[in-house]
Amino acid sequence: MTSQAWVLLVLIFAIAVAWPKIGLWTQWRHYQAEKTRRLVEDALKHIVAWEQRGQAATPESLAGALSLSQRRTLSLIIRMEKRGLLRSDPAGFSLTSKGESWALHVVRAHRLWERYLADDAGMPMERLHQAAEIAEHQLSAEKLDKLDAHLGHPQRDPHGDPIPAADGSLKPVDAVSLSQWPTGEQARIVHIEDEPDVIFRQIIAAGLRPGVNIRILENTPERLVISDGNTEHRLAHIVAANIQVAEARHSLRPAGAIRLSELPKGEPAEVIELDAACRGFSRRRLLDLGLTPQTRIEVALDNPFGDPRAYRVRGTTIALRRQQAGQIWVKPPSTSANQQTAKEAIHA
Amino acid sequence: MTTKVLDPREVLLRADHLRREMGDDFRDRIVSSLYADAQRIADRSVQIGTGQKWDWDQKIDRIVTSPVFGLPIMLGILALIFWITIIGANYPSQMLAEFFFVVEARAAELFIAWGVPALLTGFIWNGVFRGLAWVVSVMLPPMAIFFPMFTVLEDLGYLPRVAFNMDWLFRNAGAHGKQALTMAMGFGCNAAGITATRVIDSPRERLIAILTNNFVPCNGRFPTLIMLATIFVAAAFPPAFASLAAAGAVVGVVLIGVGFTLLSSWLLARTVLQGEASAFTLELPPYRRPSILRILYTSLIDRTIFVLWRAILTAAPAGAAIWVLANIDWNGVSLAQHSANFLQPLGYAIGLDGVILLAYVIAIPANEIVVPTMLMVYMGVSAMSDITSYDKIRTLLIDEQGWTMLTAVNLMLFSLLHNPCATTIITIWKETRSAKWTTIGALMPLVFAFAVTFAVATAVRALW
Amino acid sequence: MTAAVTDHSNCETCPAHAQLEQMGVSLGKSDYLVALAGNPNTGKSSVFNALTGLRQHVGNWTGKTVMRAEGGYSFQDKRYKLVDLPGTYSLLSASEDEEISRNFLLFGRPDCTVVVVDATALERNLNLVLQVLEITSKVVVCVNLMDEAKRKGMKVDVRSLSRDLGVPTVPTVARTKEGLRDLVQTVAAVIAGEIATKPVRPQHPPELEKAVDELVPMIETVAPGLPNARWVALRLLDGDHKVRQALLSGELSELEGRQAAPVETVSSVVALQGRQ
Repeated sequence: MTSQAWVLLVLIFAIAVAWPKIGLWTQWRHYQAEKTRRLVEDALKHIVAWEQRGQAATPESLAGALSLSQRRTLSLIIRMEKRGLLRSDPAGFSLTSKGESWALHVVRAHRLWERYLADDAGMPMERLHQAAEIAEHQLSAEKLDKLDAHLGHPQRDPHGDPIPAADGSLKPVDAVSLSQWPTGEQARIVHIEDEPDVIFRQIIAAGLRPGVNIRILENTPERLVISDGNTEHRLAHIVAANIQVAEARHSLRPAGAIRLSELPKGEPAEVIELDAACRGFSRRRLLDLGLTPQTRIEVALDNPFGDPRAYRVRGTTIALRRQQAGQIWVKPPSTSANQQTAKEAIHA
Repeated sequence: MTTKVLDPREVLLRADHLRREMGDDFRDRIVSSLYADAQRIADRSVQIGTGQKWDWDQKIDRIVTSPVFGLPIMLGILALIFWITIIGANYPSQMLAEFFFVVEARAAELFIAWGVPALLTGFIWNGVFRGLAWVVSVMLPPMAIFFPMFTVLEDLGYLPRVAFNMDWLFRNAGAHGKQALTMAMGFGCNAAGITATRVIDSPRERLIAILTNNFVPCNGRFPTLIMLATIFVAAAFPPAFASLAAAGAVVGVVLIGVGFTLLSSWLLARTVLQGEASAFTLELPPYRRPSILRILYTSLIDRTIFVLWRAILTAAPAGAAIWVLANIDWNGVSLAQHSANFLQPLGYAIGLDGVILLAYVIAIPANEIVVPTMLMVYMGVSAMSDITSYDKIRTLLIDEQGWTMLTAVNLMLFSLLHNPCATTIITIWKETRSAKWTTIGALMPLVFAFAVTFAVATAVRALW
Repeated sequence: MTAAVTDHSNCETCPAHAQLEQMGVSLGKSDYLVALAGNPNTGKSSVFNALTGLRQHVGNWTGKTVMRAEGGYSFQDKRYKLVDLPGTYSLLSASEDEEISRNFLLFGRPDCTVVVVDATALERNLNLVLQVLEITSKVVVCVNLMDEAKRKGMKVDVRSLSRDLGVPTVPTVARTKEGLRDLVQTVAAVIAGEIATKPVRPQHPPELEKAVDELVPMIETVAPGLPNARWVALRLLDGDHKVRQALLSGELSELEGRQAAPVETVSSVVALQGRQ
């Protein structure tokens, strides 16, 4: 190769590296800055989480949460102090107001994104956390405001954690652990801890989630037996400790309730409620079609493939897929007298 | 005027506070009380008489969505529509073609008598006019029969039942059941089908419906399919069953198209358009007696004239282009022949020939003119001066151009799968506002078309 | 671009007019603006076609991929512009269609809104009617598909419906144009104020009503003269973004500027009729 070719090659390489905005150097710098930001934001999240529990985070707890070496943790802390995000004192760290508002932004991003994934994208509960861990670093405040508006300013994430408002205000959950709830009393699940993952998955698999009403049937030192109206669940105390409950808003799903997808053809029924798992657009659409409590409903048509089925509701025929019909609880009108009185009550 | 000034932000703060107090089932409670009122008012003003109620609708629905008869009925209706179109369109098409050729011949004679240069006469009458004449005679009769019948089905309320029957297939492909509706609209015109995807609320599923709509043959492509089915498939059957066999062949092609719609939806939903299924709520409205006037208006004015006009607009320049290509020589051979020769190897590889590919290149603005273009190029190199019936086309294609069953089958497949026409591509752009999705929407079908025809050609040649 | 609007309650400088322009609706030479709302599959487009005939124009809502049809009709020397809103089950913004309809009713301020309902499924359709009534009181309910109701052995007592809803109700069969003249006449009378409307307002659970009662006076202070403060309060409690923005930006308080105008319209119409 001639020397001119070499010069040309070097020149091309130099241009590729140094080109403004899209050059390799800028790209690398950008990547590094992103990485640092992610680290800082994760640290802020950790500290604010401990603060909310009334504890001060320590260098050790931070190193553990971020899986960093002592040396790198310390350099991170120093950098954050220099940027005016936190103060450290012998008892641990505390966030400055700047650090706190940034931390709450990340928390807001995480929880709003989870809400979005659960409601609009229909992502299963157990996958939400991981997806939001990535997205929380990429959402600007404007994007969050838009998302917040689009979702109708939700108050809680799918686990029941409160979502900070745009101004950073946060209303803590007013709830107690399931184990401490009096036996026989009705309760409403308001929060499910998403860590550790194994326990969280167990709870979700049982169909328990924020918004579900339950009653404690039995509370022994070994275990807890609860009912959600038609199914009984046995929970170890270590599992129950991750479920928090509060006062029930409406009555427990009556015994004998079935999912609309299981309703036999030719049998009329009435809607009891939409499952807590049915959220977002899907829930709003079902409500708008008139699937409110006490609505009479029956199967109108089967289908060559068995799914979807069409239902007769409020003088119209609506087809629903099995998955959606499975989120509608109905009751065969064996108690038609009750229903009559319910109707009268509305009339009055 | 107001005496006290209140900052709107204070109102919002108060509202937010109250909202947090009330919990998140606010919407549920509002809708419940709205419906309670609606129910009360409706109960007071509506009296349901004894005896017949919901009778007819439910009985019909039980049959057309029945596990046993539902799908056969759907296919039967489809076949019936094609059959009526095929037998109904044949004769008027022939008459129109004959009429236009008489006009063409007379007018050309007149021009020559007036002393107009032969080149100009040829350009106007054998180029532009012939292109127009072909499009009108090939397309108008099938459209004028197909669109009204389709509009009747639409007005009756049958299409939602089709979506209901097919949703399971679409769900398994990761798409939305209402895609069946947009697909059905695509039979008329893919651009119309793509606009119809607005009924799908989920952006992801809507995009799938947009990108795959091209796999249902639109009305611009039906004449090609119908012609090939009539010439090649029907000819293999005794005359009594000929038109039925042709209709069956068209239904077969449509089913292949539906298969590709599902396959490509499945591929998209598993690669670039991953996500969860959205809410599927489909209302099955009561059957309505269609209003004849409205049907004639929508199907003839809105659809037939619209599509025909668009075809005419593209056919005139295409006719001119073909005439120029066929009449300008280079090294003693026409440009059309040069282009066709250039495309020949690729054409052969996929079981077609260079002329067919050339026709498809010229016909990018509108699929309707593929057959006319093809025939004009063939005729430019043939001794025949007019083509007025399927018999003559048959002679031209089989005896003079050496078409085989493979050519016919692959042309049908190519016509079914190839890239959307320019109007459809523009519509994809308008609906998605994305260069990426428009490109995918244009190129994915083309890749399918080449891959499938190449595979078929190779397999057939290896077996024979 | 718009010719001089004669005795229309609208004016080119009024905020509602600017809102209409933003939505891509131009009043042109029409005297009144009428919106057509309704559930899907109620024969709404039949009503639209029957009223406007071939005088219609189809396009998109500005910036949206939602179809909009516009047309016009004349009645007693007045020109009416008819805007066909997307067919929706509700106005609580579950979808783009619902948001467009809702925004048009709220910010476009039609002189009258015709809600087309399916006589065979009144219950489901009334849900939408009740929501429209919360936004505007100038409403005529068009009970369409009366022939099908009859075929199904249903008797719809239109007078009872009118009484319960507090707005005029007209039975129609749009396919055969039955009742449409009545509809047009009723719309004219409602616009002219000859028919007084007193729409029913659905009662919500007590704690909701309490919250609404608390907010309404505040909203009325911010936006005096707003005819649907109650509805705005409900939307704020539901976290409706567009309504929040409208309150903050002052769009809602500007809207009342148009509210005073119909009085003039009434007097001019009455004057015209007196002359005839």
